This record gives sequence, C-alpha cells and structure tokens, in this order.
Amino acid sequence: MDPKLTEVSQLFERFKAACTRDDLNTSTNQLSQLKVLLTGFRSLPPLFENTPDADKELTIARDVYEHAVLLSVKIGDQEAFERNFFQLKPYYTDAGSCLPQSPQEYMILGLNLLRLLVQNRIAEFHTELELLSPTALEDPCIKHAVELEQSFMEGAYNRVLSAKHNVPYKSYDYFMDLLAKTVRDEIAGCSEKAYDYLSISDACQVLLFPSENELLEYIKEEHPEWEIKNGSVVFQKAKESAPCKEIPSLQLINQTLSYARELERIV
Amino acid sequence: MATTMVSSAGGLLAMLNESHPLLKQHALYNLNNFVDQFWPEISTSVPIIESLYEDDEFDLHQRQLAALLVSKVFYYLGELNDSLSYALGAGSLFDVSEDSDYVHTLLAKAIDEYASLKSKAAESNADGADMDLRLEGIVERLLEKCIMDGKYQHAMGIAIECRRLDKLEEAIMKSDNVHGTLSYCIDVSHSYVNRREYRQEVLQLLVKVYQKLPSPDYLSICQCLMFLDEPEGVASILEKLLRSGNKDEALLAFQIAFDLVENEHQAFLLNVRDRLSPPKSQVSEPALPKSTVPDSSQNENSSAPDVQMTEGTSSSTVHEMDPSEAVYAERLTKMKGILSGETSIQLTLQFLYSHNKSDLLILKTIKQSVEMRNSVCHSATIFANAIMHAGTTVDTFLRENLDWLSRATNWAKFSATAGLGVIHRGHLQQGRSLMAPYLPQGGAGGGGSPYSEGGALYALGLIHANHGEGIKQFLRESLRSTSVEVVQHGACLGLGLAALGTADEDIFDDIKSALYTDSAVAGEAAGISMGLLMVGTASEKTSEMLAYAHETQHEKIIRGLALGIALTVYGREEEADTLIEQMTRDQDPILRYGGMYALALAYSGTANNKAIRQLLHFAVSDVSDDVRRTAVLALGFVLYSEPEQTPRIVSLLSESYNPHVRYGAALAVGISCAGTGLSEAISLLEPLTSDVVDFVRQGALIAMAMVMVQMNEASDSRVGTFRRQLEKIILDKHEDTMSKMGAILASGILDAGGRNVTIRLLSKTKHDKITAVVGLAVFSQFWYWYPLIYFISLAFSPTAFIGLNYDLKVPKFEFVSNTKPSLFEYPKPTTVPTTTSAVKLPTAVLSTSVKAKARAKKEADQKATAEKAAGAEPSPASTSAGKGKASSEKDGDAMQVDGQPEKKAEPEPSHEILTNPARVVPAQEKFIKFMEDSRYVPVKSAPSGFVLLRDLQPTEPEVLSLTDTPSSTASPASGSATGQQSSASAMAVDEEPQPPQPFEYTS
Repeated sequence: MDPKLTEVSQLFERFKAACTRDDLNTSTNQLSQLKVLLTGFRSLPPLFENTPDADKELTIARDVYEHAVLLSVKIGDQEAFERNFFQLKPYYTDAGSCLPQSPQEYMILGLNLLRLLVQNRIAEFHTELELLSPTALEDPCIKHAVELEQSFMEGAYNRVLSAKHNVPYKSYDYFMDLLAKTVRDEIAGCSEKAYDYLSISDACQVLLFPSENELLEYIKEEHPEWEIKNGSVVFQKAKESAPCKEIPSLQLINQTLSYARELERIV
Repeated sequence: MATTMVSSAGGLLAMLNESHPLLKQHALYNLNNFVDQFWPEISTSVPIIESLYEDDEFDLHQRQLAALLVSKVFYYLGELNDSLSYALGAGSLFDVSEDSDYVHTLLAKAIDEYASLKSKAAESNADGADMDLRLEGIVERLLEKCIMDGKYQHAMGIAIECRRLDKLEEAIMKSDNVHGTLSYCIDVSHSYVNRREYRQEVLQLLVKVYQKLPSPDYLSICQCLMFLDEPEGVASILEKLLRSGNKDEALLAFQIAFDLVENEHQAFLLNVRDRLSPPKSQVSEPALPKSTVPDSSQNENSSAPDVQMTEGTSSSTVHEMDPSEAVYAERLTKMKGILSGETSIQLTLQFLYSHNKSDLLILKTIKQSVEMRNSVCHSATIFANAIMHAGTTVDTFLRENLDWLSRATNWAKFSATAGLGVIHRGHLQQGRSLMAPYLPQGGAGGGGSPYSEGGALYALGLIHANHGEGIKQFLRESLRSTSVEVVQHGACLGLGLAALGTADEDIFDDIKSALYTDSAVAGEAAGISMGLLMVGTASEKTSEMLAYAHETQHEKIIRGLALGIALTVYGREEEADTLIEQMTRDQDPILRYGGMYALALAYSGTANNKAIRQLLHFAVSDVSDDVRRTAVLALGFVLYSEPEQTPRIVSLLSESYNPHVRYGAALAVGISCAGTGLSEAISLLEPLTSDVVDFVRQGALIAMAMVMVQMNEASDSRVGTFRRQLEKIILDKHEDTMSKMGAILASGILDAGGRNVTIRLLSKTKHDKITAVVGLAVFSQFWYWYPLIYFISLAFSPTAFIGLNYDLKVPKFEFVSNTKPSLFEYPKPTTVPTTTSAVKLPTAVLSTSVKAKARAKKEADQKATAEKAAGAEPSPASTSAGKGKASSEKDGDAMQVDGQPEKKAEPEPSHEILTNPARVVPAQEKFIKFMEDSRYVPVKSAPSGFVLLRDLQPTEPEVLSLTDTPSSTASPASGSATGQQSSASAMAVDEEPQPPQPFEYTS
C-alpha cells in the first residue's frame, strides 16, 4: 500500500477517535492536516487521474469529507459545513459511478437541504432537489427535508415546529433549532406587513412563543424597532416606501422629436 | 474511470475559503487549469480570489497565480481592461507564447494600450515616466518572441505602432531579407502611421538603417529622403553616384532622379538640383566645397533663359578639365535636365505625340449634334477636345473647324485659347512661340480681344505647369502691365500654375496687388493662384488671405481665397487643424466650403478617420448645400489612397434625397477611384448617371469617365455600355444642357491625352502627386467656373513604359506583356455606319510603310464591320493579315523604326511583345515581364514609367526608336500664315515634334 495512503488512513483513524471523544480542537486540526494530505492524491477531483489506488483514495477522501461535514454540524459552523459539503459533493456526483454508494450520502444530502432551508435559500434548495434521483427522493432523510419545505412554503409553521420531534438523525437537531428561528423570522416579517399592531398575547400566539418573556426577549434582540405600547406590539410599517415614480414624459417627448428631426436630416 | 470529469468547480471554490494556505494554493492551481470550463461559476467568487491576490502574506507565485486566474475570468466576462490589469499582475505567469484565445486577445489589448499610452506620451512631449513597466515588459517579451520566431513583419508592425523605434531597428536588422523588410516597412509607415511627425521619425530611422547596409538601396533611400524633405541627402547621394567611374552607378543616379521627378515635388527637385556641386574646373582645387551659394547663383543664371538652360552650364565650364571631371560634367548636365523635369516632359511629349490614338470621329459626332446656339455645349466640346488631346500637341480638330471655333466669344474664347495650353502641355521649349499670336503684345496695346489674351496667359501656365521657371518672368510682367481684369485673371492662373508650390514672395506680392484691386474676376483667380503658389507651405499668408476674405464683398473673391487657403495646408495633416477649425466654424458658407477643401487637402490620401468623421458630419448637418456637396466630394480626396473604401463609405450618401450630396458622392468616387476601373465604383455610379436631377447626371458621367479612363470593353463590358450611353445623351435633342455637357466632358476624359494617359493621384512609390491632387481639387471647382476644367490635365499621367539608355535616348527594346493583347488594347475607333470614314486618320504620316499599314487597317476595319454578325473570331484573323504584312516589312528593313507596339500575329495569343516605348496601362503592369536574353537590362524592374536600361553590348550600334518625326507631317491643314518663328525654333530644338502653326480666329 502506498505510504501516503497509509499515513492518511492512520491519521483518519485518530481523527475519528477524536471526533467520537468530542475533542473538537484536536479534530479540527487533524482534519485540516488530512485535507492537505488529500491534495497530494492525483486521483481525487478535479483531476480524477487513474492511479492504481484510485478507488481506495477516493473512498477515504469521501469518508474524510463526510466526517468533516458532520464535525462542522457538531461545532455548529455553517460556513464550514458549506465548504466541506461542496468539497464532498464531487464524490457523490462525479465519482458516484466508480464508488459504492456511501451509507451516509442521503443523510448528508438531507442535512444540506435542511441547511438551505434554514438559511432561507429556497432557490438553491430546489436546485439541489432537482439534481437528486427519484430513489433518493424516497429516502426518509430527503423526504423529511422536502416535507419541511412544503409546510414552510404553505405557511404551516406549526407543522414545521412539530417536525422537530421526529428527526431521522441526531445531527439534524442543530438545524431544526435553527429552522424554528427561521420560521419565527418569517412570521415576524409577515406580521409586520399584515398588522399595524398586535396585542402581546396575540403576538405570543402568532410567533409561537410559549411565554411573554420569551417574546419580549426576542423583540429586544431581533426587532428593536418594534414598540411595546399599551400592552400591544406596534409595528412600524415602512411607510416611506417611495411613491410610484412619475414618467418623465416631457423629456421623452423632446427626445423622440429630436430623433425624428435627426432622422430627417440623415440622408 | 478515465471519462470521469468534474461537473462543478464548487468544491474547489469552497476550498479557497479554507484557512490552510496549502489548500488555497491547491484550489487556485486547479481552478486555473479548469477556468476555461468553469469561469461562470468562478466569476461569482472573483472577490475572494482578488483578496488572495492582494494578501501580502502569500508568496509571490501564489499571488500571481491568483491574478492570472482573475484575469482569465475577466477575460471570459468580456472585461478586457480589468483582465489586462490583472494579467500584468500575473507577471511572468502570463505566457506570451501560449497559443490560446485568451493570450492572443490580451496581447492585442496590451499592445493597444501600450501604443496609446506611448503615443499620448509622445504627443504631450512627456517622458514615458508614468508608463507601467509591467506593460512594457509584456510588449517587449512579445517583440522578442516575434523576432525569435522570424515573424519580423509582426514585430515591425508592433514596434511601429508602439513607437519603439529601437525595437523596429532591431527587427529590421535581424530579419533575413533586410531589403524586403525595409520596403515593407516603408509601405507600412505610409499607410498606417497617421501622425506626420512620427512618420518622419520612422523614415529617418529607415534611412539610417539603409545607410548602414553594405549595399545601400539608393532608390529607396532617396524616396525616404524625399518624404523627409532633405534635399542635401539626396544631392550628396546623387553626386556620389555621378562621380563614380562605373557607368551603372550613373544609370542608377538617373533612375533615382526620374523616380523623384515622378513625384512632382517641384520645390524639392529644384533644391536638389541646386545643391549638386558644379564640376571642378581645375584639378588642383581641394575636394568639393559644399557651398551652395555660388553654384545656386550660377544655376539661376543658366536657368533664366527660356530654352537652352541645360546646355548653358556645360558649354561654359567644359574646357580644361580632366577626363573624370568631364564625365561628371556631362552626367551632371543630364542629371540637371532630368531633375528640372525637362527630360521626362520631353520624352512624355514625344510618346504622347507618337502614340496618339484619339478618335476624331467622336469629336465630330459631338460637334455635329451640338446646337450652334448652345454656348455651354459648344465650349464643352472645346474642353473635350483639349482634354482628349492633352499633351499630344495635336490640334487638328481645331484647325479643321476654325469657323466653328470662332463662335466662341467672351469667356468661351478665353477657354478656347486656354485649351491650346492643355493640348500643348509640356511643350516647354516652344510654348511661348506657340501662344505668341494670342499673347498681349507689350506696346502695341489691344491687338486681340482681352479674352484670348487672358486665355493665352492661362494656357502658358498650363503648358508650364509645375515647371515654370522659364515663363514666370513673362507672366509676371504681363500681370503687372495690364489692368484688364480678364487678362489679370488669365495671368494669375497662369502664374499660379507655373510657380506651383514655389512660395515665391515676389510673385505673391504681384498677385496680391491684383487681388487688392477688388475686382471679382481677377480676385477669384488671384485667390486660387495664391493657393497654388503656396501649396503645402502653411505659411502665415493664410491669415492675410482669410482677413481679406472677410473684408471683401465679392463672393467670387471669397471663394477663390477660400480655395487658396485650403491649398496652402495641403498635406499638413494635424498642423492644419486650427485653420480648419477656424474655417469650418465661420458664418460664411463659402468659407466653410473652403474649410471642406482644407480638410480634403490637408488629409489628402491619408484616409484619416478623424477627417472622414468630420466630413461626414458636415455632409449631413451643414445648412448650406454647397458645403454639404463639397464635404462629400472631399471624402474622395481623403480616401484616394484606398480607393476600395470610397464606394462603401459614400454609398449611403449617394442615395441621399439631396441632389447636392448625390453629386458630391459621385465626384468623390470619381476622384478617389480615378483610373482604377474599380467595379464597385462603377456599380455605384451607374444608377446616378440616370438620376432625375440634371447636375447629378453631369457629375456622375464625369466621375464615371474618370473611373473608366483607359479601360476598354474587354476588361469591363460596362465601358462599352457607358460609351453608348454618352453617345445617346449627346445625340438626344431633349436632354438637359447640364447633363449633355457632362456627357461631352466625359467623352473627353474617357479618351484623355490620346488614350495614353490615366488619372493618377499617387506615384508608384505611393507618394502623393501634388500637382495631380491640386489639379483635381481646382478642377472640382468647375461647378462655378468652367475654365477651371482644364486643371484636370494636371492629374493626367502618361501610362507608358519608356526605357532609356545612358544617353537618355530611347533604344529599341522589347518586353512581354503576359496576357491577351485584347485585354488592354486601345478601344476600337468608332466607325460611321454609312460612309465618310476617310477622315478617320487625320494625323496621316507620310511614310510608305505606315500608309500600307493604314490601308491594311482600314481593310481590317471594314471587314470587321462586315463580319460583326459572324461573331468575334474573324476580327483578329483579319487584323493578323495586316499585321503580318507590317511585320514582314519591318524585318526586311532594319532601319525603319516604328513607334507602334507590335502585336503578335497568332490567332489567340496569350501574350504580346511590346516595344519600347510602349503604352502600359496600370492594370497591365502586373503582366509585364522582361526578356532574359535581351540586350538591355532595366536598372530597376519597374513595369512602367521611366526606366534606365543597362546596355550589355555597349560596342554595337544602338537602334533608337522614338526619334523625331518628319517635320512635314504636321501642316496639312494649316492654310493660314506660317509663323516666322516656328521654323527658327524647329531648327533650334530638333528633338521636338514640329510645333503646329498658329491660327487666327476669323471673327
């Protein structure tokens, strides 16, 4: 076996161990080392050279990145998640034909969908969805994300929140919490537009807060521009939206006339 | 496995955000490889990569890599400026030798950028201090590479464009064919270097390089020096060659002189001539003192007398000199003859006379069909005759129709008399005596009508155009001694023509005093004349002229001055911009109109984009029709160096609703495509010849004739159609006078100069022919003043191959035209359908052989007309019989010398043998080949013009052709009194054809 490959697999073992120990610092360092080592393999994307150990290298690289994705979820680093996921993706899409399917593939794809949902990047969400095969769509992880999105779009926010209780994997929890917040932001945005004011109790109900305190906390953090007056929340509507611009008719007429004149003059 | 490809750059882009530098580098490296495929994805991440480039923590290589990547993405996004600036940041990673679209595009961009920076720096006279060194580096790398790869032309082009004369020199010196590269470089600098000063710099460099070469190409050096206006250099080269013991070098010197003369730069030539040092009269004298003062004065003395100036110098100094000096003296005499233009003019005159093929029947038809009372058509016929016989000295038509001619009165008489000047153009020696009967008689006081006197003075100017040393004095005196405005008019025009471009202060003052009489007729001519005198000098005189133009009330004077001012800025390009600006912004439309001419002449033949843009702007936006017409017409002048462009540029204008613009478009095409027979030009003009407006038809007909001059039906069938159309217009009783006049003039131009001249604005070395351009510019004024039509004769240049031996005589010499003779032969003479074809060959030559030939030809013609229905085949067969006869005669009698080019007698000859001197039309030039076993070898293998021949068998006697014709030929028609001076002058100059006898108007 190639010494480099051995080195990588040994390091990978230690990294996995660190992960399970929840030793986050060590594991991030080791991950970084692993990635650097992986750049030395010429069989990996984007080169895809046909080296003797290509299969093993590809597999181990995929495993490394899968773990990296999960680690980033554990840390709660969305950017790292995105980075790692993008680096992992070619192993699913482009190298999929020459590798056995990874058992974690759908779980990670589902996680990614969830992340997009959380970040409210609906367009990208659908793009990803379109790229999936019909069998993938049947998978509970993917299905879960798709259903969530549907409820989200319908405005069935309570269904979204209740879905938190039947997540397929533990790692989904992180995103589900975030999703709840996203949902709340959505609701807040809508109420702002829809109502001039809401009584505090109604606001609690609408924003799905169990208690008034949490509501006040939320307002203080996220929407300092909302006023609390006479036991109700007053939304400052953005009244100053600019009036429909006037059509510069006179200018247009002048311009057209001058064009006509010029045309006449042109031979 | 091997087919696996990445489908997205997302992974790599994500890697860019990793914290580990190695990962970033890996990502950059791979992205750079895949950028061609994934640039749309990468483009969203450009800011990240940019920040990598700007991050100081990375090592240089990595930052350069980032820059290269960004540059490529910008390239794909079409942001070339950004792309270039990052490519510069990429330093050595940007590989100039890479063969990809990206590199090619960016290199082009870099060169553009560099060139524009350089020229901006040069224009503002600042140092290239703020020049981006990286940019310079790239360009230099590229140049180096071009030179290494042997792509010298690329390298030179880039070097010229970027004003890197050092690199240009390097490229030229390293190229394997230095002479070829140099001449390519000259071409390039003429056609693509727009700024005059810079072009001069380039040429200076070229001269330098030329002189460094082991075997300098003197022909090219002298051409360059001429562009640079450095007569000293030319003179010293010529002198060196003349003093050499080798005869061939002297021949080369003569050849150089002829080539210089072809460019018609009178002032320059005179300057060169005056700088040639005179032969030393004593051997002991120290080597030639370069003082020009004594010898120029000596030359003044010798050139003052009218006729025998060249003989003067040699005869006075030839005694008591050692042999080499004697040889030099003899050569110098010849050289001065050439430089003064006299030799070439004389030879041209002989050629045109002996080869005259004008068809009097056409004139006769015109004469008969024109109504007697219509003076416009009447004088148009006189114009046509003059143009048809320009420079041939054949005035048979006038002689035969004296009665008819006498109908011309007043200004028509002026024109008729001036027409003689066109016919006798170049007849320097006898011009004066020819015109004597019409000239104002000094003391006698009003012998003839002022109109013919004025016309005669104008005629003298035309005869001596651009070579007026001998006649200037006389014209000045005539101008001073008269107060009749018509005579002043003629004298002013004559003076202007004779002293063209000499910038003579005294003459200027004389003309100015004529101008200040504020007479409309004299003032107009004075204005034009001042311009002619000051052509291309851009002197301060213009402000004087402009001031007077504002002052005077006469439109004619303003117009004359406006044109005159325009002439002074001839060829000055950017230098003229202030004046042009001033004129084009004037309130007075006539001055704006002059401004158009100024634009036309200042940028003549440069195809300068700025000038074209300005002219097009005026052509569509000025309120005055005159200005618009002139603006379009001026395009013709700006574009004459690239005739193919003109039809395209004016095609839209030729469909304008405004007839003036259409007229201008027609003439623009006529001017710039003159003599080319360009198919697009003809297609553009064709519809205009049947325009609804009469003057547009006139312009189109004239322009068409200018384009088609010297073409025959074999090369373009539309020539025949056009000739028939002209005939139809002339014969049509109901045709408008204007278009009829156009048709008459057009038939004149079509057969100009006995069918042996073409209109050429560029010499063979691509130099503007100043006389020709000026001639056409003033010619285009005929809209206002018909006598100016004669200026077109200045633009005529003979299409001849004239080979000369060491004695500047024309030896018998044959060469081959490698194409079917019918393609370039003279158009067939017209035939009268019924009878009376006896008067067809009025220049009957009384030698027996020629008679026999004429008979044969007549037979052939009759047969041809008889068998016309039978098809094309019999006609060459029948001529071959006649030719065979003629050639057998020639074989029998070696002494009998025949000027006519003999055609081979085969039924379908694929080539013909031409005999020196021969008519070689421009289109034919590329078919000309010299025979290898010939006795004479040309010094320079030019297909036309004057070519010096080296004699390989100098001991054998030479057979000369083009000797003088028998003196008894010219006077069959002259019944009037034989001038006493004509016989005397015929004795004096025996090289000349016999001058025709003077004749008088009978009423």
